[in-house]
Amino acid sequence: MSDLYLVFKNLTRAKLRLFLTLFATFIAFMVYALLTAFQSFLNSGVDLAADDRLVVLNKINFTQPLPIAYVNRVRALENVIDVVHLNWFGGYYQDPQKMVVTMAVDPESFLRVFNEYVMPETEKAAWVKNRQGLIVGKKAAELYGWQVGDRIPLNSNIFSQTDGRTDWDFDIVSIYTGEDEQTDTTSLYFHYDYFNETQSFGRGMIGWMGVRTDDPGNNEKVISSIDSLFQNTQYETESMPEAVFNKAFIEQIGNIGLIISSVVLAAFFIILVIVGNSMVLAIRERTREIGVMKTLGFRSPRIFRMVLAESLLIALIGGLLGLAAARGIIYMLSQSSTPIPTLIIDQSIVLKAVGIMIVMGLVTGIIPAINALRLNIITSFSRT
Amino acid sequence: MSSLLSQMWTVIMMNLRSLPQRLWMSLAAVFAVSVVVAVLLSFLAMANGFEETLKGTGSENIAIASRVGSQSELNSTISRDNVNLLLGAPGIAKDANGDAIASAELYVIVDGIKRSSQTEVNIPMRGISPTGIELRENVEIVEGRMFESGRNEIIVGQGVTKEFQGFELGKRTRFGKSEWEVVGVFSTGGTAFESELWADAPTVQSQFNRGSTFQTMRIRLAKPGNVQPLIDFAAAEPRLQVDIETESDYFSSQGKALQGIVTLGWGLSIVMALGALAGALNTMYTSVAARSTEIATLRTLGFSSLSAFAGTLAESVVLSVIGGVVGSIAAYLLLDGVTASTLGGSFSQVVFNFRLSPELFKQGILLALLIGLVGGFFPAFRAARMPVLLAFRNAS
Amino acid sequence: MSDDVLYKLTNVTKSFVKGKEKITVFDNLNMEIERGDFLAIMGPSGSGKTTLLNMLGGVDQPTSGEVTFDGGRVDTLSEGQLAGWRANNIGFIFQFYNLMPMLNAARNVELPLLLTKLKSKERKRNVAAALELVSLADRAGHKPGEMSGGQQQRVAIARALVSDPKLLLCDEPTGDLDRETADEILGILQLLNTKFNKTIVMVTHDPRAAEFAKRTLHLDKGEFVEKELVT
Repeated sequence: MSDLYLVFKNLTRAKLRLFLTLFATFIAFMVYALLTAFQSFLNSGVDLAADDRLVVLNKINFTQPLPIAYVNRVRALENVIDVVHLNWFGGYYQDPQKMVVTMAVDPESFLRVFNEYVMPETEKAAWVKNRQGLIVGKKAAELYGWQVGDRIPLNSNIFSQTDGRTDWDFDIVSIYTGEDEQTDTTSLYFHYDYFNETQSFGRGMIGWMGVRTDDPGNNEKVISSIDSLFQNTQYETESMPEAVFNKAFIEQIGNIGLIISSVVLAAFFIILVIVGNSMVLAIRERTREIGVMKTLGFRSPRIFRMVLAESLLIALIGGLLGLAAARGIIYMLSQSSTPIPTLIIDQSIVLKAVGIMIVMGLVTGIIPAINALRLNIITSFSRT
Repeated sequence: MSSLLSQMWTVIMMNLRSLPQRLWMSLAAVFAVSVVVAVLLSFLAMANGFEETLKGTGSENIAIASRVGSQSELNSTISRDNVNLLLGAPGIAKDANGDAIASAELYVIVDGIKRSSQTEVNIPMRGISPTGIELRENVEIVEGRMFESGRNEIIVGQGVTKEFQGFELGKRTRFGKSEWEVVGVFSTGGTAFESELWADAPTVQSQFNRGSTFQTMRIRLAKPGNVQPLIDFAAAEPRLQVDIETESDYFSSQGKALQGIVTLGWGLSIVMALGALAGALNTMYTSVAARSTEIATLRTLGFSSLSAFAGTLAESVVLSVIGGVVGSIAAYLLLDGVTASTLGGSFSQVVFNFRLSPELFKQGILLALLIGLVGGFFPAFRAARMPVLLAFRNAS
Repeated sequence: MSDDVLYKLTNVTKSFVKGKEKITVFDNLNMEIERGDFLAIMGPSGSGKTTLLNMLGGVDQPTSGEVTFDGGRVDTLSEGQLAGWRANNIGFIFQFYNLMPMLNAARNVELPLLLTKLKSKERKRNVAAALELVSLADRAGHKPGEMSGGQQQRVAIARALVSDPKLLLCDEPTGDLDRETADEILGILQLLNTKFNKTIVMVTHDPRAAEFAKRTLHLDKGEFVEKELVT
């Protein structure tokens, strides 16, 4: 027998209460893990953004176009390694309500600038060669059941072909995966040339450019040389590091971070009150026993530690179970064919959660622990 | 029967009167429920406010024509020819001169800075005509003046000035090569149009290289809601590549954009309600334990087990409903009327206010009630089955 | 001081404030307890029995005066030191047994040994010996709730013995037991005193319990009084 055994026995004596407090803790940490994983997914665009990649947009707004002639002028600048241009296609597959992120690009420079998309060299070559070739992210392919070799039509809600049709036919030449687990694989990329020659308006215009610099340290320099190059033209540009653009894009939706932290805070507040109260009650019921232990010669600090250990155990057991459940839920979601993003509960989320568990455990245990510490032997016997 | 009722009443009142003895435990349960209800209501208020704003924007009197399959104003383009063709369609209201009342408009997106995050966001800028302004109800210039046609002048909605910076009255701002001046601030009574910048349509066409094309056309209907003649007309005319729907249909489908928030809010609240339920059960089991002597004594005196059950259940329900009310009041005070903005259907910011409604309060209280009933049922069951003998044992 | 004296109270005064009133329980109390004694302390309620027992047990301190135990001062110890002192020197037996409800008999007995440096194996051996002594070896795995009052008190005695304290303090050890069981418990205490030479101080108001002791002191209003027989 050890102190820990005593703590454990105290913990498990009121099974129902233990279950209820554990359950409340479990719920809070499950909510925490899921929401934080979701937030980390939202931030993945920022976290995974390449340091040496810039985005060049029309200064008015990124929905305004740029002339294609800009690509070569930017490519000629010092410290610029490569440039790719992208056009938003406004694509959907069969169901107009379900947008599929589809972009018209120049395949060769695309593969050089965006090297986080993984696919066999043979398929890369096949894509470059096939003017109607389309590469599809793994998640999108799973969602729509596409295979390499399929020929599919994609519609645009912005563009139409010269003959009035709004759909284009594509050959799927590759299903790419991501370098990182959180790399986006829901997007589709196809040849700008195919798009440009067949569409009915806005030819020779591009949406924006991706620029790879020779060193992140030169980003500022390249940004100012690009933007000053096009100053006072019909199409002024605004360049920024990819991370900055991605962050602003997420911010457009609203302050999701604030919403998530408020909910998480609310969940933790609930268990703080519930578990804290139940601990106070549990220790009060044991007043006499604590008095006996003190009489036997157990020193007050030791009893103080035992009470804290008990509340810590509740937080840790309930919390870790909550994390495990969140992992289970995410796994189940990933197995289902819903367009839900890849959520990951990584080490940093787990470590943070454990940190919160420890704080929770200490906070919920501190009042009863102090009560136990201060408990006077003589009064403890007269109180019951 | 009446004696049973009076028994139950007696026990319920005894329970409630003894609540202060279990003050902290009871407060914990109340608090947990109030937090859950407040969380639920904040999500619902967000979605509700957004939906109300967009619903209020669309009118039954107006049809909106956009390019086939474009789904939003931003994606649409309509040529001058198509505009002219549509003006000859049946079912359109006519003015005193017998001309069709319609407005061809442009919808471009420009950058603004969101005050709360200091990041660049998409602000819609509408190229509009005097007729277009008349087509909107309740348009009022609250500051400055109307833009003059042919000049680079804009008027901004009240929502824009609240949420975004860079468009203050008198401010000059550059879009590409052209410079524009903010000459007025308008209100439209809280509709989504207040999230827009308005300028003279031909000027927008020329400054944004749109040639003679427009993006959408708004048409006043001869008979409210009756768009069928227009739809039939468009279907019969092969040169017309347009979708036509009433403005209210267009905006109410966009108002559904935050339905996901409602689902998420309910999902999170139910999960958190389970946590609060654990708290309620804990509180009620403790209460039953604390009152065990009292309950057993009453049972010895001849009170029915049903009254013991009712007493405990009532205590739980009262605590939860208090929690629900507190949570609702907190949500109301903290959130109702708070302005926020998000990306709407046309890929641009929509400014809206969090809005609580009696219906939402009802849902919040319902959730609280549910927690109270479930949280009280099992402990009440225990109270009802408590042996009479206990009264003597504990008394010794 | 003679080597035979285990406990010595010199001019001990104990008073405390209750509301606005100052209550003096003991005024210049003197007392000696010899090694191997079995002392019963009797007296009506309010006579100071419990306060005396608390002071002897080191859970309460005198207001003034000197308390020496086994040659060392007790009244000058800090609260933390007192806890260690109690663990080393005193075994407690209470009227309501005060066993830990969630622990079985063996673990209840083992509890004071957590305060020693004994290894788990030695602890187990001591626990077994203590339970054997109170004839409860076969109940080692039972929890207090599964035992009779007499059995519980025997477990409590085993707990008080297990760390081999110099003094056993008993507070109404038979107050909650029927006659037959009480005699059984008192028999065990007597055996501990005679056979194992344990010094025992027992507070009781049961004259029959006092008969098992070697001598009896009567406490009244904070003073020991001569009174050989009580009816």
